[in-house]
Amino acid sequence: MKILKESGERKTLNQSDQNEFINSIQSSFKNTSYNFDTLKINVDLSSWIDTHKILKKDFNLSFFNWLSAVDWDNEVKTGDAPKEPVTPSFEILSCLSQTNSNNLVISSTVISKENAEIESLVDVFAGANWHEREAYEMFGINFLNHPNLTKLYLPDDYEGNPLLKSFELISREVKPWPGDVDVEGMPEDSIVVEEKGS
Amino acid sequence: MSQTMDPNNMPILSEASVSVEIETEDMTLNIGPQHPSTHGVLRLVAKVNGEKISSVEPVLGYMHRGYEKLAEVRTYPQVTTLVNRIDWVSGFANEIPFIAGAEKLMEIEVPERAQYIRLILTEMARISSHFVFNGAFPLEIGALTPIFLAMEDRERVLDLLESVTGGRFHPNFNRIGGVKPVAGAGPTTKKDIQDLPAGFYHDTKVAMEKVLKAVDTFEDLIGGNEVFQARTKKVGVLTKEVAEEYGVSGPILRASGVEFDLRKQSDYLPYDKFDFEIPIGENGDCFDRWSVRTSEMRESAKIILQAIEDMPSGPIQAKVPKVIKVPKGQTYVRAENPKGEMGYYIISEGGLGPYRLKIRTASFSNISILPIMLEGALLPDLIAIMGSLDFVLGDVDR
Repeated sequence: MKILKESGERKTLNQSDQNEFINSIQSSFKNTSYNFDTLKINVDLSSWIDTHKILKKDFNLSFFNWLSAVDWDNEVKTGDAPKEPVTPSFEILSCLSQTNSNNLVISSTVISKENAEIESLVDVFAGANWHEREAYEMFGINFLNHPNLTKLYLPDDYEGNPLLKSFELISREVKPWPGDVDVEGMPEDSIVVEEKGS
Repeated sequence: MSQTMDPNNMPILSEASVSVEIETEDMTLNIGPQHPSTHGVLRLVAKVNGEKISSVEPVLGYMHRGYEKLAEVRTYPQVTTLVNRIDWVSGFANEIPFIAGAEKLMEIEVPERAQYIRLILTEMARISSHFVFNGAFPLEIGALTPIFLAMEDRERVLDLLESVTGGRFHPNFNRIGGVKPVAGAGPTTKKDIQDLPAGFYHDTKVAMEKVLKAVDTFEDLIGGNEVFQARTKKVGVLTKEVAEEYGVSGPILRASGVEFDLRKQSDYLPYDKFDFEIPIGENGDCFDRWSVRTSEMRESAKIILQAIEDMPSGPIQAKVPKVIKVPKGQTYVRAENPKGEMGYYIISEGGLGPYRLKIRTASFSNISILPIMLEGALLPDLIAIMGSLDFVLGDVDR
């Protein structure tokens, strides 16, 4: 029984097709950028859902890759702060792609920290469900009209949103790292010293 | 005194009492988190009506290690240690998209030889991952033999990985701009073998011939088995529309008939230099998912055999600054991992480490279809469907 279809023709990267796709996106959306082979569309909060509908229907971007958020802040408790000052806000990112080429689009929108809520994408892409639940627990962003906006990874009684830049990484507070105390004595050494002393 | 019933005095069920409608309600069945078929610690809360599943709710987070947060306090070279541990069955493959992303932001050209070494080891990781699948999946639905065969052959591939990288599961072998040089690997006067251990080409050839033989054995032993076919054919059918909407990728998507493989469509490694096929399934059932992965092993072995034939010589490391600082920028680089699309969205603000690292893993999206696939399925099929998705909890929870 033949169960496999071998795709005989060898696909090569078609640069002109990719350029055509980028041009068509850039002519349809105002605020786009193409850096480091990543095409990004900045959309208004109000057209977040409509943009995804258009991308899915008109541009054949039917594959839902992921959705996440970024916490932009100047005062950070983990990592380094941005070099140039930024407006404190949440940036929501989503990634859609085609399944017959390497074409991929990152959509981005900005929401304020005081009113951190955005329409849920679940009606357009059912796969957004878990990604939005993750963003909800990690950043505290409220996804409106989400069918089941509960914590995904964290326990129900967990307090705080771990991926916020204001959320301290406790282990780093206890022991700073990377530090210059890389060469510590082995535990055995200290035991030996104690024995000699006694 | 034990209660014994007098056979002459047994209560007789009248026809009327039998025909009384009994009210039934769904039973909640907890599967996991400690269950061998969950590949880690996944808990499923299933509502079952007899043998039929009416709904399933996966409960995640038992293995959540917070890598996205940890990456924010680490430097770029340190992050590779973390990403090794995401999908530990194919640790090497996890490093590739992250390193490629950092190199893209730094605009570094990676030497061809380093790219070939990366490609060979990635394919070895794929073979070893699919060996685990070929052992574990039949085991879960009751076939004991294949796991012994699979583990023996997998060991040979892991030995090769170990001889180059020093690690079986967590190689941490990629460096920004190239790969790690191996100390004492052959005579250093010959530039082209300083990075691969002596006898690597020969051992690889032998191991790949064994892999090709093992795939034939699996196709007879597992695919030709009537019980296996009965348990997997037309079970857990996934249509391509649902798969795409949920971001299901890799062999599962290809088993549903979508011809999508980033090795053909993207250019993160020089796959365009080799001849290989992409196996596609027709029905999208459990059998096709097994079949696609098994055929993929053959293709991976073919790629490796071609790659060691025309291995270029030259340096294995591009020139990089001593302290690695990635300039400001954002990029998304993805790769075809054994389990599907893995990608990293790197946001760099010009520091020593990423400002934010979004990790897109294959298994997370792949198991998000479990509630849909299992609704209305029979309880014995649950194990077959879960096994055919071939997920690893480290890849789900991150």
